[in-house]
Amino acid sequence: MRMSGLVGASALAFILSSGAFAQEASLDLVEPIAEYKIYVSEKLAKLVEDTTAFTDAVKAGEVDKAKELFAPTRLSYEAIEPIAELFSDLDASIDSRADDYEKAEADPEFPGFHRIEYGLWEKNSTEGLAPVADKLLADVKELEGRIASLTFPPEKVVGGAAVLMEEVAATKISGEEDRYSHTDLWDFRGNFDGARKIVDLVRPLIADKEADFLKTVDANFETVDTTLAKYKDGDGYVTYDKLTDDDRKVLAAAVNTLAEDLSTLRGKLGLD
Amino acid sequence: MQSSKDLTRPRRGLDRRRLLSGLGATALGGSLAGVARADTAHHTVADAPIANVASQLDSVPYLGRHQAGVVDARPANGMVASFDVLARDADELEALFRTLTERIAFLTVGGPVPALDPKLPPADSGLLGPVIRPDNLTITVSLGSSLFDDRPWLASLRPKHLQRMMRFPNDALDADICHGDLSVQICANTQDTTIHALRDIIKASSRQMILKWKQEGNVPVITPGPDGRAESARNFLGFRDGSANPDSSDVAEMDRVVWVGPEDGEPAWAVGGSYQAVRIIRNFVERWDRTPFGEQERIMGRTKMTGAPLDRREGSEFDVPDYVSDPEGKATPMDAHIRLANARDEASKAHIILRRPFNYSNGVTQSGQLDQGLLFICYQANLERGFITVQRKLNGEPLEEYIKPVGGGFFYTLPGIRDASDYVGSSLIAAARGA
Ligand code: HEM
Ligand SMILES: [Cu+2]
Repeated sequence: MRMSGLVGASALAFILSSGAFAQEASLDLVEPIAEYKIYVSEKLAKLVEDTTAFTDAVKAGEVDKAKELFAPTRLSYEAIEPIAELFSDLDASIDSRADDYEKAEADPEFPGFHRIEYGLWEKNSTEGLAPVADKLLADVKELEGRIASLTFPPEKVVGGAAVLMEEVAATKISGEEDRYSHTDLWDFRGNFDGARKIVDLVRPLIADKEADFLKTVDANFETVDTTLAKYKDGDGYVTYDKLTDDDRKVLAAAVNTLAEDLSTLRGKLGLD
Repeated sequence: MQSSKDLTRPRRGLDRRRLLSGLGATALGGSLAGVARADTAHHTVADAPIANVASQLDSVPYLGRHQAGVVDARPANGMVASFDVLARDADELEALFRTLTERIAFLTVGGPVPALDPKLPPADSGLLGPVIRPDNLTITVSLGSSLFDDRPWLASLRPKHLQRMMRFPNDALDADICHGDLSVQICANTQDTTIHALRDIIKASSRQMILKWKQEGNVPVITPGPDGRAESARNFLGFRDGSANPDSSDVAEMDRVVWVGPEDGEPAWAVGGSYQAVRIIRNFVERWDRTPFGEQERIMGRTKMTGAPLDRREGSEFDVPDYVSDPEGKATPMDAHIRLANARDEASKAHIILRRPFNYSNGVTQSGQLDQGLLFICYQANLERGFITVQRKLNGEPLEEYIKPVGGGFFYTLPGIRDASDYVGSSLIAAARGA
């Protein structure tokens, strides 16, 4: 029994990785990937611009202004996280959390956005944050440079839609990402926009064959949109603690289903 | 090709076959006296426990040159508990070691629990009833670097490579489940026995050490295939784990890979011990289950169903990949877990470790995901050349997207308890008094 399972499964893997279908798909993907690269570089340009303003405020000791700029600045990073994560050293220094360090917030190694977030909200101060701000800006610029010269691997681009949902499902839905500022709903917006962008770029390639699949995915994005819309506040969102338990469950289910469905996107496009 | 063959155990499959043909006798033949099972020599660390064979009468001798629970086959349940030690001088440390030895001697051999005056709390938790059976129990005692560093009278005796576990790039260490002065690894056929042993040890040593953290795990019990052959157990990523482990029944190999010898340049008291690396590694199982099958295999470097190498899909887990014929990683990607962990070239031979992991399943995270993973335990004669080097090679591996090391520690497994008059750690105490 186990043997027949093996033969079936590895035969499938073989067809996906070396069949003619895969080649055909990768040709089709050239354009969506080129477009995605443009999308990412626009986000990165915005990220550098916003981070400059944000870190300037931190260094000038303008706590309130820095607080105001924190969430909108992160938006562009969160939208392109799967690509940023290809450089795990930079992702760690830009976006890691206190839990990644043994001494948590007190750990001198704790860097990046969340280190500054901690200072701004928990200490209501920018004291000691200037070097952290300098490093953050340098890292963001470095990221822009590295991504500019990166050839985007198709499976990472297409897989990125699912990765964004996986991250929300695993470590964001709990509100642990922006635990000091509670600006998590902004991050969600970025993550969902980034995932949806990828789906939209490859949509023409599967529109005929996968109409039902796209319908389900769109419906779940829709659910997310209507839920998030309830919490809109000006250009952004209210704090995460305002999210009702019921809405959190609705979001969690939509995210899990999107992660489940989008995990098949690569296979549908012939990328294993 | 030739060199890669040397690193493995071509005969392991045969050994397992032999083991199974002798099972009938084993199941009946145990005794409370703690006699070693006849098959122990042929059952290796990597093998999964065999279904319907484990008996409460199974026992592993606790006396010997080395402690039990290192090169012995893994039973179905394992646990690591880490403690902070109070001992301020050699006398107090000796007292702790003697307490531990006394409990090890009783629990791993078994016998009736003493009955006390019913007006007093009972001597035993009673989890296992009035008569304790060994149930394959091993209790392995190891020391953390903090035990040495925090005590000037011990500091000069710290094993050369023993250090506080460092943070590797993918780690998110939780201080509450890291490090410790003393670790106790407890393994047995059933979870009741490991829990009973832990409670017994805590009760007996409560004045001498304080529990810091513990992690339990288990190894899936396997029913042998129709050909009578047992396979390596699967971990929570669904892959066979242990296939390429060195042969723990090969005494010379274990002397080279696992046990510290006089030639290792360690303090003399440490000869016969080993370095224990413990890592609590969370697996993102939901995400893994949504990862394409082909990618899962490329990340690990073996086929998922049988464990065969990717360049010999029709083979078995006992086959080894031929990297010399695959220099560009077309069959086994260059960054596959097994290829990074062991490049199977001449230089890699120095970095072989004995892995003895257990799967754990704890509960649910804040985000509503399963908190499951691997209680990774490995033993080696040189911590730097073993775990630390291998982990450095693994840093940045594609598997990292699906795993997160959150706890653990480095410990030095004390040399064996030589005979009934000896106690665990006696050589260290003698050295501390002499120093
Ligand atoms: C959750 C984490 C891990 C998982 C799921 C995992 C899984 C596996 C699997 C499926 C294999 C192939 C079968 C085998 O030979 O056992 C393997 C091999 C191996 N792993 Fe891991 N492993 C993990 C962590 C580690 C760590 C932390 C180390 C050491 C630093 C390590 C070192 C090795 C070595 C040395 C091999 C054998 C490679 C060979 O000789 O071909 N693994 N692992
Ligand atoms: Cu993030």
